[in-house]
Amino acid sequence: MSEALLQVEKIEVVYKRVITAVQGVTLSVGPKQIVAILGTNGAGKTTTLRAISGFLGLDDARIAEGAISFEGRRIENAPPHDIAARGIVLVPERDKVFPNLTVTENLAVPVSRASAAERRRQDEQIYSLFPRLSELRQRIGGLLSGGERQMLAIAGALMCRPRLLLVDELSLGLAPVVVQDLTRRLLAVRDELGIAILLVEQSAAAALTIADHAYVMENGRIVLDGDREKLRSHQDVQEFYLGQAGGERRSYRAVKQYRRSRRWYG
Amino acid sequence: MFRPTPRASGYFRTGYGQDLALLQTRAERISLAIFLLILAGFPFVASPFALDLACQVFLASVGALSLMLLTGYAGQISLGHAGLIAAGAFTTGIFAREIHAPFWITLSASAVTGIVLGFVFGLPSLRLRGLYLAVSTLALHFVVIYLGGEYETKRGFSTGILVEPPSLGGFRLSGGRFWYFVLLAAAALSLLICINLLRSRSGRAFRAVHARETVAEALGISIAGTKLLAFVISSAMTSVAGCLFAYYRGFVSVEAFDLFLSIQYVAMIIIGGMGSLLGALLGAAFVTLFPYAIEALLHLLPNADKLAGDIFAVNYASFGVVMILFLIFEPLGLVGIWHRLQNYFLLWPFKYRPLAGARK
Repeated sequence: MSEALLQVEKIEVVYKRVITAVQGVTLSVGPKQIVAILGTNGAGKTTTLRAISGFLGLDDARIAEGAISFEGRRIENAPPHDIAARGIVLVPERDKVFPNLTVTENLAVPVSRASAAERRRQDEQIYSLFPRLSELRQRIGGLLSGGERQMLAIAGALMCRPRLLLVDELSLGLAPVVVQDLTRRLLAVRDELGIAILLVEQSAAAALTIADHAYVMENGRIVLDGDREKLRSHQDVQEFYLGQAGGERRSYRAVKQYRRSRRWYG
Repeated sequence: MFRPTPRASGYFRTGYGQDLALLQTRAERISLAIFLLILAGFPFVASPFALDLACQVFLASVGALSLMLLTGYAGQISLGHAGLIAAGAFTTGIFAREIHAPFWITLSASAVTGIVLGFVFGLPSLRLRGLYLAVSTLALHFVVIYLGGEYETKRGFSTGILVEPPSLGGFRLSGGRFWYFVLLAAAALSLLICINLLRSRSGRAFRAVHARETVAEALGISIAGTKLLAFVISSAMTSVAGCLFAYYRGFVSVEAFDLFLSIQYVAMIIIGGMGSLLGALLGAAFVTLFPYAIEALLHLLPNADKLAGDIFAVNYASFGVVMILFLIFEPLGLVGIWHRLQNYFLLWPFKYRPLAGARK
């Protein structure tokens, strides 16, 4: 895809100058596309997301090889607030709202150069996307429930007027009903505001309901990718991520052995 | 922290202008007016000693407010506060002494000194956090005190620099009542600056950086810029407080700015209540008046004159005990007690707020 919004080209991320965490990862997000990265813990999903959003420096990691370009400009190893200013905003995995600020103040934190009238319109847009938040305007972030925090974090990110939204673990610690509601809202964000979304998820079931395209990561590499239908019907994905084992359940050992063989031969 | 939100029942804001108003209801306006009247009338009934105490509280308020901005809101710990006050006082002393600079020049020179020092000693905050940052700010204190001491000895003011009271159009501005109003105005102005700063984008950035640095950065806030801004604003205000201190006392000497003063300022914002401007004011009053209260109490004891020599020791010890008690029993400080009282009366005869759904 040549007109991709975000293009990640064979990046390699190295922690503390010795540990390779992600290798040869290539992915792209087109305009107004929802793309998901799936994988188990430690597969390198979050690392990839941090590489894109510029937050690697915090953990003494860096992109050793490869390139990341956004709207045709190279952004690898740029500082996070710079990347945010270019239009990529991250919703982190946890600790995502300011517990000492009210909902209104949380939404006012993002830097934007919009005029007062524009801000007001933006406020209304956000509150119509997340009506629950408008009931909680004066509540401080620390007193919100998990689902409300997730909404607030997404709303706060939208206040930056991003063109690409990175969401790390939308479903983390949330009830399935809440996840369903949030995924539907993300879809609305894409459809109404035209913002592309890159999702990192463990819950393949949730991600594959809205993603147009998905990548499966395992052990720091992308092992599988394709559109929603392809992945949903893919046998491995069904077995390991959607939990729809065909017939009898395999033992943990069998799964591990299968993984190891994939790693060696695949 | 749960703040009492329903200040007045049945009051709803209906416009953005009302959101911005400092005083929301008539009750607030009336109580502020009464409070101001009391403050204005105080110097005409108070003894010179009480007047001096009030002036000290106002001076401490300016310092405590600026430290609250830095530590309570932006989350940057500083033990260099006494150094900054000293910097302002010495700038004033040196300018007044060497070139007989008028009031407005020394005041702005002090502010500039504060800005420069705040910037330089804010730089370590970009890399250091918590205890390490506190230790790096100690350097500020020692540098200023060393330079001040050098100036005193080189120029032969070994006992301190005398600062003449400022004059305006031939009038010498001195006297307890006059300074009471100057310092009251300074404290009120600092409070207004702080309130409005905290309601602005920079203020929100301070609190955002304090709470979640990474999230703030993800939302496009420059961490370095925000931290430095906090240091610069806080230092400038503190330095100005130092300038006023020099004029008020008429005398500047390094002895007045020992490390214990820094500790006292930190104590003010802890005892008052972290993250609250009201807390800074309450803490400033409490810590300033505390030693006098202890002294008065000691005088009530039988054979008080025998204890006279121990007053300092008793003061320090009881100060430490009070600090410990606050940290254990009321980490939210005086302002926490105040909010609890408010809630008690607001909710009376109930004890807790009902579940949100129960209203319908």
